[in-house]
Amino acid sequence: MIETRDLTHRYGPSEGRGEPETESSADPDAPASPVALRDVSLTVPDGEFLVLAGANGSGKSTLVRHFNGLLTPTTGEVLVDDDPVGDDLVAARTRVGMVFQEPRDCFVAATVARDVAFGPENLGLDRAEIDRRVERALAAVNMAGRGDERIDRLSGGEQERVAVAGALAMEPSHLVLDEPFTGLDESARASVLAHLRDLHREGTGIVLVTHDLRDVLDPADRLVILADGAVAVDGAPDAAVDALADLPVRRPERC
Amino acid sequence: MSTATEDVDLVGEEIAANIARAALFAALTGVFAYVSFQLPVTSVPFTLQVLGVFLAGVFLGPVWGVASMVLYVVAGAVGAPVFAYGSAGLGSLFGQWGGYLWSYPLAAGIVGIGVHGRGELADPGHVGLGRLVGAMAAATLVIYAFGTLGYAIVGDVSLVTALVAAALPFVPAEAIKAAATVAIVRSDAVTAR
Amino acid sequence: MLTYEPGDSVGHRVGARSKLLLQAAFAGAAFAHTDPVGLAALTGLALALLALAATPPRAVFAEYRGVLPFLAAAPAIESFRLGAPWVDPAAAVGPALAAYRTLLLLALVAAYVRTTPVRESEAAVARLVPGKPGRLLGLGVGLVFRLLPVLQADLARTREAMAVRLGDRRPLRERIRLVATAGLTRALSRTDRLAVALRARCLSWNPTPPEATFGRADALALLLAVALLAWAAWDVWPALGVGG
Repeated sequence: MIETRDLTHRYGPSEGRGEPETESSADPDAPASPVALRDVSLTVPDGEFLVLAGANGSGKSTLVRHFNGLLTPTTGEVLVDDDPVGDDLVAARTRVGMVFQEPRDCFVAATVARDVAFGPENLGLDRAEIDRRVERALAAVNMAGRGDERIDRLSGGEQERVAVAGALAMEPSHLVLDEPFTGLDESARASVLAHLRDLHREGTGIVLVTHDLRDVLDPADRLVILADGAVAVDGAPDAAVDALADLPVRRPERC
Repeated sequence: MSTATEDVDLVGEEIAANIARAALFAALTGVFAYVSFQLPVTSVPFTLQVLGVFLAGVFLGPVWGVASMVLYVVAGAVGAPVFAYGSAGLGSLFGQWGGYLWSYPLAAGIVGIGVHGRGELADPGHVGLGRLVGAMAAATLVIYAFGTLGYAIVGDVSLVTALVAAALPFVPAEAIKAAATVAIVRSDAVTAR
Repeated sequence: MLTYEPGDSVGHRVGARSKLLLQAAFAGAAFAHTDPVGLAALTGLALALLALAATPPRAVFAEYRGVLPFLAAAPAIESFRLGAPWVDPAAAVGPALAAYRTLLLLALVAAYVRTTPVRESEAAVARLVPGKPGRLLGLGVGLVFRLLPVLQADLARTREAMAVRLGDRRPLRERIRLVATAGLTRALSRTDRLAVALRARCLSWNPTPPEATFGRADALALLLAVALLAWAAWDVWPALGVGG
């Protein structure tokens, strides 16, 4: 279970990229630093398929980066399985696996199996266990037997699946994907989504960050929409979609 | 599946970011090693490696600038095609031009110290022109001192021959690379925190 | 360009560490014996090693063709005299032997690169250097191998785009700036993403060590390296003035 309590995140003055809204600071002499998240309280139960939507700059990516301690809250706290994330980063990062936008920038190794093994190797597991995990993770994304292939020769959809396998090899209870469909064509998008549905069916919690809601509401248990760093909508997908009218997200075609 | 998480010694945020950047500048230097331009007058083809050395010192500072060039040399030594014209290997380090390669970590350190001093990293865009140019001139001097001496010793030739064959034709290009470095540092396009 | 060629020659079976050690020992012997007899013996050894590594000398020659004029420059300049008879061939002997030695060392590099996959080179670095520096070095070297093709592609695109837009007519300094800036900006945002991804996957100081194999081929390579070092020391030791 992932839980945020009154989570507020303010970027340092030098990090103010994009256009998050600025807020007057308590100290009048300090430069106003942009607020990315304000008072977000959210609980993600185990096994839930959550779609997290919102426009660019709404704070989606910032929010999920708190789930495993990649960012530290300015105020508020984040708990994974009731433990504060900062107390045991290794536990948080193994329980919450993360796949980033532009996977091809995030690979560590040149070949598939070597890259998928990177996480388990960092945990110091023995070779037999690492091999078992790599095999299982690759099988889960339909890449079994392709461990020796070079990653840069794979298609975009295959690269995305290898990135998912890299996160799965940590055997997380939640898998967070930040805009996984960027740059994928329709068939690759469909295949990645199908694998996510399978993982969800087998019990892995999925947090899917996207600004494009086509097809993703059907498997989702819940839809959360962020606007200006705060939760604007939170509920069952069908009910939540009705609240979308004024929000800048791409609406599903069937609605 | 539980892991003994307390045994895992995580690499901190700052070091993770710096090792990625050090590797980036090492790879960039390697790519520059086979971009060749021709000097207008002498028509000697020169590569941009030294530009990578300058940039590593300017953007990473003394400590990680040196680390970056150590990565460059070690990666090349174990077979990454990052030396001039895509060559590699331990043999290159012991070859005629090896002196140049050995000098790069030191040269990046000189640029780093010259530009940033010993404390916190300064914003390279706001460092004075004199400091930038002075640091790069000192680094160039070291690179050529190592390079020429290495060429003379390993190649078993006199210093004069070494200067003629391995240094003088390339020196004008260094001025151009230094000027390009200043332009890069001052351009808005590159923002490295 | 030299790249790894999968295969099952003796050279492929020797570990990266042993091959690096052997190269260093070979270099030591070559420096100690840069004379016609010594280099002839080492040429024989180099040819044998190339054969064991399934690397035909032809491939080596093709690889280093571009380097040959540079290698020939030193003896040519050294033998030049300002005044009759203008050329002094005797002065070229030393530099020519030195240039030939460099060629021998490069030949072994070709054999190494063709028989050693990247991950073994990475592991060799991590094993040769102990502790945290070794971890950073191994990781960093792996990342350099990973980033190279990406940056090459970036740079090729930029140069192409520049040529299309008549960038060729700009001053040289401006062209270099354009090429470098394009590569740099893209690459910096890339590496920041990469660093976050590394942390998300628990980048640690104490990962599972790379698999170590030490076979009969390694033992033979090490034996050869020791023999070469002994041969090098044989001549160098008295030269250092030990015992007068």
